[in-house]
Amino acid sequence: MTIDAMTLTLFLPLFGAMAAFVLPRAATGIGLVTVLATCGAVWLLALEVLKAGAVITPLGGWEAPLGIALRADGLSLAMLAMTSGVGLLVSLGALNALRDLRQRQYFWPLWLLLLTGMNGVYLGTDIFNLYVMIEVIALAAVGLTVLSGTKEALRAGLEYMYASILGALLFLMGVGFVYLHLGRLDFAGLLEAEPSGALSAALALMLVGLLLKTALFPLHFWLPAAHANATAPASALLSGLVVKAALYIFLRLTTYMPLPDEILVTLIGALGAGAVLWGGVQALRAERLKLLVAWSTVVQIGLIFIAFARAGQVGLTESWKAAALLILAHGVAKAAMFLAAGRIKDELGHDIIRDLDKSNIRPTLAQFTFALAAISIIGLPPSLGFIGKWTLMEGAMAAGYWHWVVVTMIGTLLSVAYFSRVFAGFLRFDRVRAPVGEHQGWALADVAPLTLAIASISLGLMAAPILSFLELGYALGVMP
Amino acid sequence: MTPDLIYGLTGIAVFAIGLTGALCAQDRLRRVLALKLCSLGAGFLLVVAAWREPPAAPDPVPHALVITGIVVMISATAVALALIRRLQSLEAEDDD
Amino acid sequence: MTDPFLILDLLLAGAVIALAIATLTARDLFAAIVLFIVLGLLSALAWVRLSAPDVALAEAAIGTGVTGALLLKTLHHLRYVAGTLGEQAAHGVTPVTPVPMSVIWANAAFCGLITLGLAIAFLDAPLGGPGFDALVADAMPASGVDHGVTAVLLNFRSYDTLMEVVVLLAAVIAVWQIERGLSEAPAPDLSVIWQGFARLTLPAIVVVGTYLLWKGSEAPGGAFQGGAVLAAVGILLLLSRLYVPHPSHRALARWGFVLGTGVFAGVALLVTGGGRVTFEYPPEHAKTLILLIEGLVTVSIAVTLAALFHGREPVALRAKEAGHDA
Repeated sequence: MTIDAMTLTLFLPLFGAMAAFVLPRAATGIGLVTVLATCGAVWLLALEVLKAGAVITPLGGWEAPLGIALRADGLSLAMLAMTSGVGLLVSLGALNALRDLRQRQYFWPLWLLLLTGMNGVYLGTDIFNLYVMIEVIALAAVGLTVLSGTKEALRAGLEYMYASILGALLFLMGVGFVYLHLGRLDFAGLLEAEPSGALSAALALMLVGLLLKTALFPLHFWLPAAHANATAPASALLSGLVVKAALYIFLRLTTYMPLPDEILVTLIGALGAGAVLWGGVQALRAERLKLLVAWSTVVQIGLIFIAFARAGQVGLTESWKAAALLILAHGVAKAAMFLAAGRIKDELGHDIIRDLDKSNIRPTLAQFTFALAAISIIGLPPSLGFIGKWTLMEGAMAAGYWHWVVVTMIGTLLSVAYFSRVFAGFLRFDRVRAPVGEHQGWALADVAPLTLAIASISLGLMAAPILSFLELGYALGVMP
Repeated sequence: MTPDLIYGLTGIAVFAIGLTGALCAQDRLRRVLALKLCSLGAGFLLVVAAWREPPAAPDPVPHALVITGIVVMISATAVALALIRRLQSLEAEDDD
Repeated sequence: MTDPFLILDLLLAGAVIALAIATLTARDLFAAIVLFIVLGLLSALAWVRLSAPDVALAEAAIGTGVTGALLLKTLHHLRYVAGTLGEQAAHGVTPVTPVPMSVIWANAAFCGLITLGLAIAFLDAPLGGPGFDALVADAMPASGVDHGVTAVLLNFRSYDTLMEVVVLLAAVIAVWQIERGLSEAPAPDLSVIWQGFARLTLPAIVVVGTYLLWKGSEAPGGAFQGGAVLAAVGILLLLSRLYVPHPSHRALARWGFVLGTGVFAGVALLVTGGGRVTFEYPPEHAKTLILLIEGLVTVSIAVTLAALFHGREPVALRAKEAGHDA
């Protein structure tokens, strides 16, 4: 028995999930060990990719198109690394956040299945297999959304479920049309295909399905409630990681099946702009901290699609890198932010923005963490969010598409505005005369979100190696 | 005219009816039914795509895909229905 | 001369479309579900016509049979909660504000446009191929089984199938999580005759399920269809109260759910080495391994589908909790 790193990346979380489910009392320990081991497997895989460029395993020994091959390159590895790295820190954050035995019992198997599904997406090269994987993700994610068991969470979870199923079915219909026209389902087959009207219809079906899953405006309707009402670690996973899986498939598909017309690229950018503006306004109006953070996810998803469209159809060969940078930046920063928001809510007992400064408890370190994460999300230097936004604007300017620069700037101003509402609440200005309570201002539980927040800033200093890593193995270049 | 043509168009029609229902239906259970129709339509399309003029045998790969799709769909349906049951119970509790 | 079968096809296609519309427009939800079940069965019939007996079996057993049971159980629960069990018709169970007809028509027009586009794309397609036909034919001798669909499901694309079982596992975990502590609507009163019927038919169904599984390697049938038929046994047992899940059965149930996935994934890993990659069964053992996986996956599918029907995790409801939920 000799198992390669790619298989380990997939199977470790799967076995971990099964073990955590059958041994509920040991779930926490099994979960932590599994996530840690998965990080190790991703590390091994990274070493292989650094050496070889792209690594391919034809499962069952059957070459594609008959069989299904797993493939890792720079982009997929960046996604895997983000997923397992952020996942590990969120897991640590969950130790404290989940006090209820029932929540702990179910959090671990569901989260490990989610990890299996996401790793499967990032290694997948077969569109039907991707359909199955997004369903694994969807069911585990809905389970996590409703972990708190409140009525609001259940309502949001049901809406999420409907959107998820519909998105997956649109994708499946697209897969059907691809088979009908090409007779194969692997990425290489898509790449070799002659563009045709019918294939464009298939692509349209799949892309709309994915946009619904990744919640691009105006298909974002399910997201804010689902992400705002979940328990903090679940929100961090859903917002930081889960929406990225569909985004990743979107990037891959649009590379292998080129969008037939320039106007579609512009349309996608315009939807992104809609998300930035509408989401920004909603975040300004949000009454609760977690809801504000959830709306900021809608904004950031829009921004990623603007990055995708920043230089039109000709620019797509480069634009995906800007999108990928923003995906990574958002993944790390948003996970930190949701965990910090959860900590603040835990300490204060509420997360109403208006009353943040009226409490005599000050969770200083959690507030600091939140502010650090906000720096990356707003896009201030030297954070990774800044590098992403800068790459976006640079490409747009080079292509002469100034409208994307303007939208990005407006989005940045809006984000400064809505995060200022929160910062104002963090600074007490002595609205409360009572002395600050017994609370020390920090707790052990702050370590995980703080680490994530520091990472979101310091990764910006490593932007150059990250960019060159993304290109390993012709990630979205010529070879599939 | 061949059976694949007839049933292919049938599948597309069923998918579209389901899509309309999923967008319009308000009742929670009815929305599940609408989504089931969409999945049935997608199943039709794949089965049709596998069909070959007899005596040639059909392509088994799409058949396997549809079977997978059916199992995936019942899993999703079961979760949606569980959510509906729990939600209805919680809401009924509030009314009391 | 027209093929008489084509007339049958046209009639069947018309019935399927009419039933699809009727399912969504029926006022009574019970009627809607029954119409949906009829629709599923007719679709299965159509798929037999398209020489897809495996798919037809799976659709009839899982997509229609077990799904129908799930839908009816949910409707029963909802009506019990709403206190409308005694009423004749089951109208919408969620309080709704009626959708304006204009919105409905706008949506319908939108979907009509999509249909038109898809129909054009479909008519444009080269029907009757290309496909995997030649590749499958080449690879069949090395697959270890004689039936194409089984070879695809458990050898060529076994990774998909493993993940499909994982989806099922995710579903049952999610359902247990969602419904924990939810008290059950009392099962509908079933007569003595029903219980007798259940006792008589159960052994027969078990035989059918096992037969389907066994035939899977050379003829239509296999783990999923067999599993669904065995799940029907479980559903009948649950409905007739011949079996009442007890909290102490929980651990066993958990093992039952993961058994298929665990063995499937375990075998995939154990066969590696000596130049073989994950899922690459040694040709001489392929048949044995596939049968082993299929058998255990069938058991897991049966247990999981029955558990999905039952819904909530069997936990002892504390008096307070029970009262709280009722």
